[in-house]
Amino acid sequence: MSSTDGRNDLARFGSEVFRASPRQADVMIVAGRLSKKMAPVMRRVYDQMPDPKWVISMGACASSGGMFNNYAIVQNVDSVVPVDIFVPGCPPRPEALIYAVMQLQKKVRGEAFDGLGQQLPMVDAWTR
Amino acid sequence: MTTTDKPGTGQHGADQPRRPAPTHGAQAPGGTLAPEQMQPDHQESTSAERLHGQTEGQMHTQIMSLNVGPQHPSTHGVLRLVVDMDGEYVVKVTPHMGYLHTGFEKTFENRTYQQGVTYAPRTDYLHSFGHELAYVLSVEKLLQADVPERATTVRVILHELGRIHSHLVFVGTGLLDLGALTPFFYAFREKEALQDLFEAVCGYRMNQGYFRVGGLYRDIPDDWAPRVEKFLDQMERGVTEYTTLFAQNPIFLDRARGVGVIPPEVAIDLGLTGPNLRASGVPLDHRKDNPYCGYESYDFNVITSTDGDSLARFNMRLLEFGESIKIVRQALRRLKPGPVKDPNRKISLPPRHELETSMEAVIHHFKLVTEGFHPPTGEVYVPVESARGEVGYYIVSDGGSMPYRVKIRAPSFVNLQALEYACVGAQFADLITILATIDPVLGDVDR
Amino acid sequence: MDPLKPADAKPMGREGVAQSSTSAAPVIPSPAPVTPAAPSRDVAPLIAELGLTEDHAAEPTALVTPGDLHRAAQALKDHGFMLMDTVGIDYSTYTEPRPKRFAVLHNLYHPRDHRRLFLRVWLDDGETLPSLYPIWRAANYLEREVYDLLGVTFTGHPDLRKVLTPDDLEGHPLRKDFPLGETPTLFRDGRHLDPAAFRAGLTGRDAGLTGYRGELRRGRGEDRLPPVMPEGGPK
Repeated sequence: MSSTDGRNDLARFGSEVFRASPRQADVMIVAGRLSKKMAPVMRRVYDQMPDPKWVISMGACASSGGMFNNYAIVQNVDSVVPVDIFVPGCPPRPEALIYAVMQLQKKVRGEAFDGLGQQLPMVDAWTR
Repeated sequence: MTTTDKPGTGQHGADQPRRPAPTHGAQAPGGTLAPEQMQPDHQESTSAERLHGQTEGQMHTQIMSLNVGPQHPSTHGVLRLVVDMDGEYVVKVTPHMGYLHTGFEKTFENRTYQQGVTYAPRTDYLHSFGHELAYVLSVEKLLQADVPERATTVRVILHELGRIHSHLVFVGTGLLDLGALTPFFYAFREKEALQDLFEAVCGYRMNQGYFRVGGLYRDIPDDWAPRVEKFLDQMERGVTEYTTLFAQNPIFLDRARGVGVIPPEVAIDLGLTGPNLRASGVPLDHRKDNPYCGYESYDFNVITSTDGDSLARFNMRLLEFGESIKIVRQALRRLKPGPVKDPNRKISLPPRHELETSMEAVIHHFKLVTEGFHPPTGEVYVPVESARGEVGYYIVSDGGSMPYRVKIRAPSFVNLQALEYACVGAQFADLITILATIDPVLGDVDR
Repeated sequence: MDPLKPADAKPMGREGVAQSSTSAAPVIPSPAPVTPAAPSRDVAPLIAELGLTEDHAAEPTALVTPGDLHRAAQALKDHGFMLMDTVGIDYSTYTEPRPKRFAVLHNLYHPRDHRRLFLRVWLDDGETLPSLYPIWRAANYLEREVYDLLGVTFTGHPDLRKVLTPDDLEGHPLRKDFPLGETPTLFRDGRHLDPAAFRAGLTGRDAGLTGYRGELRRGRGEDRLPPVMPEGGPK
């Protein structure tokens, strides 16, 4: 939430609008822990998004279950929706989320590089 | 201008005789609420007026079920509301919770007491210090631990700053639900300044795990207290700014005044606590009534209102800003140098420099980290006033280093029951206002 | 703005409070230390007035049988108490023997007199408890939660169904025989690490295994006081 406020302004990176409806969205940010009760609902919201679409898994709890390793939390959101960017942190800083959005933009354009300097393939939503 | 001719149009609905009011909750013939059941000063027409008295036989109306699904911008988190509506008026609302159920209580049973401090603030992530304080106070009561005064004073400061943080988010997002986009940015400006203070003291902007059983993790930085003073001045200017922004706004007043009135007896019956209960007229505040952390020595008022509507609940939190600022100023003046942890080495970790010279310190450190301390058997409960209401951790200890059972008395879980009561007969937009002013945090509801 | 009047919340006296200061305290002291309560907050006379037995606990608790619960709760409501919380506890792996497996505690609080009373009911598995919904509407979600997480059925509840866990989860998570449900962590080199092996704490039953005498031993009175750091630093 703080990424969109006046100080860490996500809007200056092109992510101005947060839409209420998935039908008009490009990116879904899974923020925070995903409980097993919410998982099918989230999958349905993802299915309602039109292509091309991307997913950012925000936080340690979404990316891996984080500190919650129990009966109620999905241990990796990637098992429910295909994730493009994982953001670590509990909670992630707003700067980390801005970095994630920018990294996603690079991935979409085909200009992303991994830690070893090799170019990552361009994310093509239609092949998933 | 041509007017459409409705078949069989007789007189205008205004001179139709009004039907007698049915009992509350029952469906009037024609499928609408009687005028007496609606809000006292609303200007909506009845469906009899709208349809020129031709409700029976002309239009078939029925109760519609609207699913305000878990994924919704206005539900303050993942809350699912199934709203039974007669046209625009709510007949019944059924909240379905559990979409953020994280199994905190089961997790507490499998972590040591000191490790539990990481989990406690993540229940209510807006007033995280409230839950942290409640948990830590309960364990300290179990242990009869001796918390030094400086630690207590810093805890009070952070507790109140956390309350300010929570009310700032309430102001920002609550008004966002009503359609006002600007106060969000104003409130979050102060919130960012506050989170900078939190970051300076413990490294985390939110979900801080700063309190420990026995005191604090480490001492506050030297320049922190003057920074807090400067923030409080900024905050006071901010409060006047928010008040000027919307407190007299006719749209806001129209949407909030008289909406969702909860009388005090009903509020007590529903188990409401916190600003919601005080807005209904019951002056219950655990900082005054069951003082903890030295609150009996601070000078502040308990704001109450007798209106019980959404406007009162809203203004309550605005005025609580002022009280929290007062408390923090008093606490800052009381800060004296001293230790911040219970000196009992069986509870608190020894300082790092001691590990180089003392074998006993090494053993204590080892045992505390790998096994944890063992409180005596017993059950304790310490209520704390968080921004949402009464928070308490009922801790059952069996003598092991992990709690046997931790029950979190979550204020939002109990406060949410007021939604079912307050929304009947209101319009759907009022439901959003009522939900926003009850201020539930779904992490607290679902745990 | 609204005429909000800041009121300092002094506890308003009620008629029932006046007798409390002169009545006899219970004879058997409770084992855990009790924080000294102001005279007007003592609930012992209230417990005696209702005809209940006092439970020995750090918090003021009264024992109630399931059959007597409604009468006691209605009497307390007439006194002005409100229901704050309902706690369900499964004592099956507890270290000290308990009368029955489950206990349900109702956390009652008087908002004007500021007195707190816990009502404890002991239950076996499968035993039902009358719902307090007809008395306090706050019991609605609270009892649903105890039903969902522990499996205690409340008769007379308007809508007893799961509230927190998903509908397809069978079982009651907070029971001691329900596993935590941990997923072993898979590391990059293919090892699976079992989280239970890395658990830091010990339960009450295992507490004696390492031989570490924690600062407060159970049951023995001689070292109730925690040892404090001696003068001049550690030995």
